Amino acid sequence: MDGTFSQLVMLGSSGMLLTALIVLWRKGIPAYVTAYRWQAWLLAAITGTVAYYGRDPRLYWVAALLLALKGAAIPALLGTMQRRFGAQREATPYVNTETSLVIASLLVLFAYVLARPWMAVTDLPTRQGLPLALGLLFVSLFIVVSRKKAITQVIGFLMLENAIALLAAVGTRGVPLLVELGVFLDALMGFLVMQIFVYHIHETFNTIDVEELARLRH
Amino acid sequence: MVNVSLTLLLMPPLLATCVAILARPSRPVVGWMSVIASSVSFAASIALCVAVVPAEPPADPAATLWRVDALSALLALCIAFVALLASVFGPALGRAESENASQTRQFHIFSNAFALAMLAAVTVQNVALMWVAIEATTITSAMVIPLNRTKASVEASWKYILICSVGIALAFAGTVLAYFDFVATAGEVPGALNWTVLREAARALHPQLLQPAFAFIVIGYGTKAGLAPMHTWLPDAHSEAPSPISAMMSGVLLAVAMYAIARWKAVVDASVDPSFTNGLLIGFGLLSMTIGAFSLVVQRHYKRMLAYSSVEHIGLVSIGLALGPLGTFAALLHVVNHAVAKSMSFLLAGRILRRYGTTEIAKVTGLLKVLPWTGALFAVGVLALVGLPPFGLFVSEFLLVRAAIVTGRLWVAAAVLVLLLTVFISLINHLNRMLYGDAPAGVAIGERRGWSAAAFAVSVAVLIVLGVTLPRPIATLIDLSVRGLIP
Repeated sequence: MDGTFSQLVMLGSSGMLLTALIVLWRKGIPAYVTAYRWQAWLLAAITGTVAYYGRDPRLYWVAALLLALKGAAIPALLGTMQRRFGAQREATPYVNTETSLVIASLLVLFAYVLARPWMAVTDLPTRQGLPLALGLLFVSLFIVVSRKKAITQVIGFLMLENAIALLAAVGTRGVPLLVELGVFLDALMGFLVMQIFVYHIHETFNTIDVEELARLRH
Repeated sequence: MVNVSLTLLLMPPLLATCVAILARPSRPVVGWMSVIASSVSFAASIALCVAVVPAEPPADPAATLWRVDALSALLALCIAFVALLASVFGPALGRAESENASQTRQFHIFSNAFALAMLAAVTVQNVALMWVAIEATTITSAMVIPLNRTKASVEASWKYILICSVGIALAFAGTVLAYFDFVATAGEVPGALNWTVLREAARALHPQLLQPAFAFIVIGYGTKAGLAPMHTWLPDAHSEAPSPISAMMSGVLLAVAMYAIARWKAVVDASVDPSFTNGLLIGFGLLSMTIGAFSLVVQRHYKRMLAYSSVEHIGLVSIGLALGPLGTFAALLHVVNHAVAKSMSFLLAGRILRRYGTTEIAKVTGLLKVLPWTGALFAVGVLALVGLPPFGLFVSEFLLVRAAIVTGRLWVAAAVLVLLLTVFISLINHLNRMLYGDAPAGVAIGERRGWSAAAFAVSVAVLIVLGVTLPRPIATLIDLSVRGLIP
């Protein structure tokens, strides 16, 4: 039974990492929103799997919240935002697609190296997900720093949050519920504020290219 | 006693936030409500400090959500003091930076929520909930930055929310990684994320896991604290925010992030050899001081000047935390001194900006003629910030250098002294250019004195008292905090 469990978690975590790679590889913003939606669904599915095999009814609630908030509400808001700005493309990122993919693979490799001490001390059936979660964390961080559109940076940040939620689900079977709720609240508020700020940028600069944000120096 | 004070500490800003949300459109009475709420909160923080000095540990560390020890009380005191000053100098009381009613309303909502989040961050037990509260400080303070919607403020707010949210997310990853080790070693225990429980258990945890977890935590909270090289958002956000919010961000928010690092350092030190955490903190601290000092030399805007001075001071605090008991004592005393001096300087910078309409140092001349009271007090603030006696920062910087020498880190002491000298020269140079000379054309000369000067007299008095004698209550409180961190 543990075999199926760890394979399911492994499959889900790899899927989440793949959705992050889609952002590095495609150029259209709508594709990013779809990738994010898939990633959130996978995250909810993994949390549900951990709940089922770990017999932890609390995690079902977390999975349901994840599905509602990150799987439905946030992608819907991202969609609205993306339609408001018209066809936006990540045409010339700071790092081009090929290099980005190479860097992403190096980051995943680094995540495997970094996760080794953790893998050594635990015999959790979910431990295979740990390096993938760290890999997703580094790749999302790379998305934030290497892409120019404010909306892509927001998606990178949201993926970073997913990576940490995955880390908590596979590493510790979730953090205590009160903390989980606090993190959800912060994630939602943080996203809403970022959304407001992206609209501010669009109104003031007539673009959502953060390259234009270069007035403040030294 | 502790419970009552804690309620009185946290409820007033919560109520003030709710009142500000409900009062639509904003009325002057909301501003006065904020002042009353912050005063109650400040009084409660003093009561807390008195209550924690006998220092009896809580009966059951796992059971309670809130915990106040000397360190929490010390930080709460600083936060409540700066929040009170900020509410007194907020819009709608003085004729402040924004006249617009909806801006005033937003200011009151978010500044009170911001104060509440900081107070919650230092009094909550659970380190993950502490993270939640610190992330809430980012969200609430970011909303206030673009109240005056200019290109610069929009840019500053975007950098702030993005860099700090990403940074703080890394701190949460570090928290989860440390918790992972805890769960793998001890199993699922109620209250496992409570600081006291975590610290008790830390001896049994794996050093090879806590080291990378701590690296995540220092980078994460260090971003929020403005440690270089993660400080890039800081000068923008602190210079573009309305002055009362700059005062709160620079005076105490940075200290709250350092508080989180200090708490985690105490946990990690129980398992890993302290030279690991000390090395990291000294490295980040010296880098921050260097970048702060040299950015000050080339600085052309006075609000950014104060912001870079914060980078430099937070570097000092970080170094102090790594220098054993005496260094930690100096660092905490420095937090108190910096909170008082920096909040005062930022609020006065707001008044200078209102009169001159520019943030450029070169365009502000004859400050002592144009605004005699504000100018003189601003000079006092900057002189305190460069560490001149008889102000408190001199004492804490002196103790810090001594701690470096006592612990045998002579090169740290030498580097700190050279950097402090650089800061001294450049800040005095900038200050000179602002204070003297003729008033620029079109700037009205003279200011009405009034209650506002009296409020800053309190800050100046505190700085001088802390610089001349270290009053016993404060010394005891800091001493207890140090003993809480270093057993």
